[in-house]
Amino acid sequence: MSMTKEMALKHLKDPAVFCCRRQKGLKISEADLEDPDIFDDMIDSGLLTLSDDGLTVEEVLGSTLTTDVEALTPITKDVLDKVNEVSAPEPETPAPEAPAAPAPAPAAPAPVPFSSFSGKDNVMHIHIGSADHIEDLSFEIPIGPGMPPAPGMPIPTAPGETFVPAPGAPKKAEKKVIRTLIKKHIKITDAEIGTETTIKDGKITIDEGIIEKALKADPLCKSLKLDVIHPNERHIYTDTIMDICPIATKVEGVLGEGVTKVADGVVFMLTGVDEDGVQVHEFGSSEGFLDEKMYFGHPGCADENDIIIRCHAVIASKSGMTRPGPFAAHKCEDVIIQAVRDQLKTYEGEVVREEKCEDLRREGNPRVVLVKEIMGQGAMHDNVICPTEPCGVFGGQKNVDCGNVPIMLTPNQVRDGSIHALTCIGPATKEMTRHYIREPLVEGLAEDEELDLIGVIFVGSPQVNDEKMWVSERLGSLLESLDIDGCIITTEGFGNNHIDFIQHIGQAGKRGIPVVGVSFCAYQGQLVVGNKYATAMVEENMDAGGFENNIAGCSCVTKEVAARAIQMLKNKMSGVEVKPAEKKWNNDIINANNKLLGLKETVLVESGTLH
Amino acid sequence: MSLTVVEGMQSEIFVPITPEPVFTELKKPLSECKVAFITAGGIHKKSQVPFNTSGDFSYRVIEKDTPSSELMVTHGGFDNSDINKDVNAMFPIDRLHELVDAGFIGSLADETYTFMGGGGNVEKFRNETGPEIAKKLKAQGVDVVLCTGGCGTCHRSATIVTRCCEKEGMSCCVIAALPPIAKQQGAPRITAPHVPIGSNAGEPNNIPMQTAIVKESLEWVRDCPSYNQIKVLPYEYRHNV
Repeated sequence: MSMTKEMALKHLKDPAVFCCRRQKGLKISEADLEDPDIFDDMIDSGLLTLSDDGLTVEEVLGSTLTTDVEALTPITKDVLDKVNEVSAPEPETPAPEAPAAPAPAPAAPAPVPFSSFSGKDNVMHIHIGSADHIEDLSFEIPIGPGMPPAPGMPIPTAPGETFVPAPGAPKKAEKKVIRTLIKKHIKITDAEIGTETTIKDGKITIDEGIIEKALKADPLCKSLKLDVIHPNERHIYTDTIMDICPIATKVEGVLGEGVTKVADGVVFMLTGVDEDGVQVHEFGSSEGFLDEKMYFGHPGCADENDIIIRCHAVIASKSGMTRPGPFAAHKCEDVIIQAVRDQLKTYEGEVVREEKCEDLRREGNPRVVLVKEIMGQGAMHDNVICPTEPCGVFGGQKNVDCGNVPIMLTPNQVRDGSIHALTCIGPATKEMTRHYIREPLVEGLAEDEELDLIGVIFVGSPQVNDEKMWVSERLGSLLESLDIDGCIITTEGFGNNHIDFIQHIGQAGKRGIPVVGVSFCAYQGQLVVGNKYATAMVEENMDAGGFENNIAGCSCVTKEVAARAIQMLKNKMSGVEVKPAEKKWNNDIINANNKLLGLKETVLVESGTLH
Repeated sequence: MSLTVVEGMQSEIFVPITPEPVFTELKKPLSECKVAFITAGGIHKKSQVPFNTSGDFSYRVIEKDTPSSELMVTHGGFDNSDINKDVNAMFPIDRLHELVDAGFIGSLADETYTFMGGGGNVEKFRNETGPEIAKKLKAQGVDVVLCTGGCGTCHRSATIVTRCCEKEGMSCCVIAALPPIAKQQGAPRITAPHVPIGSNAGEPNNIPMQTAIVKESLEWVRDCPSYNQIKVLPYEYRHNV
């Protein structure tokens, strides 16, 4: 597609490339030249190769062509009668802004003998009927939100695209509390393995004899070993970290309401190998020195000063990469944690923090949901939903057994440990059990006084493509029926689950629901599929090379990720532009967003990973 | 109430576009073709070094007379139990020998190449591993290349290597459990049986299904009219984990 005068002025110093085949004798005008804003896409898709001898737009305007030239050919001096003299380029002023967005369409289409474009559906469709070595080729470039539509291009008017407060809406929405959950964080100062299970004066003691009882929970679990790792003892070898699980228990009510006690300053860490010594390893293994293999302080991880009670499981030979094997380890660990929970119920220790969580409506505010795609593919890719005890296993239903269908939980239920993660796919990008009980997006959305968080939908990622589509359709219907004004969709891991992730974004997008996607992508996890609705996306990566770096909990939803996602959603709901992404992962963009929101910088971990 | 907005934010994740077409028309009958089967599903000989499950752009050489009992899987991205039962579920080497014996295809390449495409380094596969495998197959006179994916990013790696083979002048088809990835990443031809990742070439020990998937994928190499077309195969298997 050709350029307008306005566009040409913007691109005077950019390469001059014919948009279509042009014949000898033509006096070159801007209408003959391709828009440099789409060169990146053309280069990526192999349509265009720029030349070192290529001239710039200002060098060729007004010159006459001395030979026929094919479309998408950089213009060089040997095909022109003259080259305009131009003054030396001025020193570039530092541009705080990222590269310009894909270009708006021209005011008047130039004669295009075998090319065409259209801008329907906010996507630029370019079609080339034929040219040398190119036959009948079409490609599509999403046009970012807020881009001026091309002439004749329908302006998106999907319902819900922009949130408009109801006339006469109060300045601040009325808060209506549905239920309250109190989380009492009880101070724990030490832990040891002993001969009876107690909590006294801030110290947890676990009876070693409980191991025998725990092993009876599942025959696939062959042995268990407990030890305590204090914060100053972390340079210690660990087998792969399967999970980090808080010790939390109900003392009043059921999940999501009443009172829960959470042990503060201590967590369980489940590690595992099979009888042949093979790590129950997921997509990459975090075995190694503990101080190097966990991102302490991230939501799913142990905090800087936490005592870690390590529960090491040995499961049946070759059961590590099947569904029952890892589950057996989680189940047996839960028996041990339950013994501690039972002590915590009656232990009257120091309450270091009392957290008040509310399920509420803020009528009049934009209605939003958080969709969390979780794994549902067997092996270690499962999750237990709504166990009896917070973060427990017993009493819960497995996501795979539920058919991976979307399940709605209240924000309080999530914050009360409704998900026990049997997680997989990469130590850095999986969400462990502790992640969910303090999920930054759930907390951020629930506490945001400008929004009305309707609920949190968990949707599994099946391993069959047809089922991915089926599950996603169900999610779409659910989103529609909730009559929401916006949603944020996250996924743990990367790869095949990105199919469903993008599909989910499409389900919201095609219904005109503003949507923000959140995932680890970066370099190794770059999206394998895409669609035109994935225009406001937040990156979780914290590895310098953009890899799954085998550091547990490194690249996941953090407070900063959550803040960026929530702000992007507000922008989208208000019709404020989120600029299109660059063509490649670039941490500077993430930090520019952080800076705009006054968030701390995303500092990448130099793991040296290069698979 | 009105929402706080912040001007100047930028989306942080790039959404891919399908790369340029690459297509080599098959110009001889299947019965005269030399066929190679490659896989991104992490198959290797038990005697070989296992793949690094969090990403590995190396490949293994599998001689055509390798018994299927000598093969195993190292892959962290899906449930391995089907391949543990029958490696032909990902790498149908027994079915290929049967198709040669039946005269459906001419011959098999003396050696083929397997890799673990999960989390695969795109540049490495595109610029090193892919071209190297393609050259080695071409040097053996291979006409047709079939490839199974594995997990999601495996399908990406599988497609990258398959594209390299197509560019080298062989006619290729990705047998995809996740066809949207093969399509978006620009596989020259795609067949899509209704199978879970981990049994991309059909149900373990279901010889008729595996044979049909391989045969119809070969026929799609012959019949596919143009670049990046999908043929859905009518075979369904559910792995009830």
